[in-house]
Amino acid sequence: MQARTILAIARKDALDILLNTTTLVTLLSPIFLAVLFIVLNQLTFSTMTSIVIYNPDDSRLEQIVADVFGKASITHVATPNDVAAAFGPDGARINTPYALGLIVPPSLDATLRAGGQPQLTLYLNGDSVKEPQRVLLVGALTDYAHSIANPQPPIKLGIVAINPPKASNVIENIGVFLVMVNLVGSFFVGAGFVASLLVEEKERKTLRMLMVSPASWADVIVGKLLVGLGYQLLLAAAILTIQGGFVGDIPLVLLFVLLGCSMAIALGLLAGSLLQTGSAVGAFVGVIGFVFLVPAILANPFNQGTDGNPVVQVMHAVPTYYLADGTLNAMLKQGTLGGVALDIGVVLGCTLAFVAAAAWSLRRQTTVAGMI
Amino acid sequence: MNQLDVMIAAHDLRRSFGNKLAVDRLSLTVRRGEIVGLLGPNGAGKTTTIRLLTGQLAPSAGSATVAGCDLVNDRARLKTQIGVVFEDQNLYERLSVWHNLDFSCRLYGLASSRIDEVLDLVGLRARARDSVRIFSTGMKQRLLIARALLHRPAVLFLDEPSRGLDPIAARHVRQTIAQLCQAGTTVLLTTHLMEEAEQLCQRVAFIVDGRIVADDAPRALQLAHGKRELAVTVDADQHAHDYVGGPGATTVHTLHIDDPADQARLTHWMAQGQVRAIHSREATLEEVFIAIAGVRLAEEQ
Repeated sequence: MQARTILAIARKDALDILLNTTTLVTLLSPIFLAVLFIVLNQLTFSTMTSIVIYNPDDSRLEQIVADVFGKASITHVATPNDVAAAFGPDGARINTPYALGLIVPPSLDATLRAGGQPQLTLYLNGDSVKEPQRVLLVGALTDYAHSIANPQPPIKLGIVAINPPKASNVIENIGVFLVMVNLVGSFFVGAGFVASLLVEEKERKTLRMLMVSPASWADVIVGKLLVGLGYQLLLAAAILTIQGGFVGDIPLVLLFVLLGCSMAIALGLLAGSLLQTGSAVGAFVGVIGFVFLVPAILANPFNQGTDGNPVVQVMHAVPTYYLADGTLNAMLKQGTLGGVALDIGVVLGCTLAFVAAAAWSLRRQTTVAGMI
Repeated sequence: MNQLDVMIAAHDLRRSFGNKLAVDRLSLTVRRGEIVGLLGPNGAGKTTTIRLLTGQLAPSAGSATVAGCDLVNDRARLKTQIGVVFEDQNLYERLSVWHNLDFSCRLYGLASSRIDEVLDLVGLRARARDSVRIFSTGMKQRLLIARALLHRPAVLFLDEPSRGLDPIAARHVRQTIAQLCQAGTTVLLTTHLMEEAEQLCQRVAFIVDGRIVADDAPRALQLAHGKRELAVTVDADQHAHDYVGGPGATTVHTLHIDDPADQARLTHWMAQGQVRAIHSREATLEEVFIAIAGVRLAEEQ
């Protein structure tokens, strides 16, 4: 193998793609989809956070609390009891229009400067305020106290939490689910891309030209893989960035991204070695679209308790299910060690099987490459 | 013959695909600077021969060297010594002329300054930035030749170089090939166009069913195998039973020069003063091919 010829082939393919509008739009479609998901998510799930506050001295703390949320509407009440009445006792499950309540004691800043530890009471509605926001709120209140007088401990903070969050929160998880679906969906685009890179050379008969040039068959394959892998990794990075997919167990997310890219490239290589025409590649992309997307959709976080469903059972036989499951669990940070190991094992095993089958097919074609 | 002057030497090459023998004990020698044509109908084994000699296919039996490189054991060096213009116009159509050639330069490790030189040779320099997809078949063919010449190959293989070209484009391509020959490039081309072979080739090899059935200069083949004929215009015989003309009517007779009876007839007409005109007519290369191979090329065209 020669680096010069490999890079020449990769460069030519990259240039060829940039000049092919149809292919370029197809290859960028997962990015368009990512943007669309973000917009839909904003339109559907972005809501105004309602806050009820007792703040007799107009403390600046009110604004600091409001800033933790993107959009907030503040209702001022006359007494602390009004706030308490809006939420009820700790642990209660009641229906309230407010996401957050706050009782700021009179002369908060003066008390802090005098070295006192004023009592703040925070009311949290678990249906609206997530754990990360709770952490941010507590941090903001503490920081505010430190900014006034730096007392130790700064304040006495009482938290009353109602409507405790459920084990799985639909609104929170759906964003992550959409990232996973788009990411796994992008893998089949990459697989089709690699297959088309190889098949185009056969169909246009340019492979013959390459075979009488200093490029070897291995150079051609490695050049194509380089372009395919580069595209797939860039695409995955773009989707994760646009849709905010760098969440949960990030190293594990990145591992599944790498596994998914490898699996897609290996599958594309196998298809490219077996298929001879562009229309056959089109049919292949159509089929693997289902193979990637259906398991990804069924591996959603709302399917808990449906393991007995025959469709879900069938999906357990499809390797891409494990890719979707592993990616989602990594993003939600909810996988078990055994589950993660199973997901990684299945995806890695299938990738190696695809590579082995492609290598066998390509080795066989080496002897007949000139006839293609 | 000086061994250094032999650019292609094939000995008993064979290649079969399953039960089908595509090339059968083919032996051929081509000297430096020669243009040799492989002539034969479609399916005769011309393209398979080219593929064997360019290392795209391994021979089932036999051996060959091209520019001193063994086909089987020295393929890597062979690739740097040969240029190939394929039967199919296998260009990257979305890329420009320049990018197509730049890609080949990168494959061969050449400086891109070579691009302008070959484009000058085929008359496409002014179109270097154009996309190949808008090119005519003739322009693409010239670009294919330019691509094959980038690395200054010792031997150029041309598979049906005038296929699908109009007469003007075909003439342009032939002129380019003739220029290459003058510059010392050895050319082996396949064609089923006898006119092309007659114009271009110093030698032609007739190939039928994978075997070379004749190999010589076109003129020598015509002299050796073609029937030499005369078209003799004589006064019409008024006593003949099929006489239809009036005064001054003439008849054209075709005589075979090598036939004693025809020679006697001509002598008789000359003695009688009946001969009005004589035109000699030599056999075409196609007629020679039919005489040797017993197969018409025209059917394939």
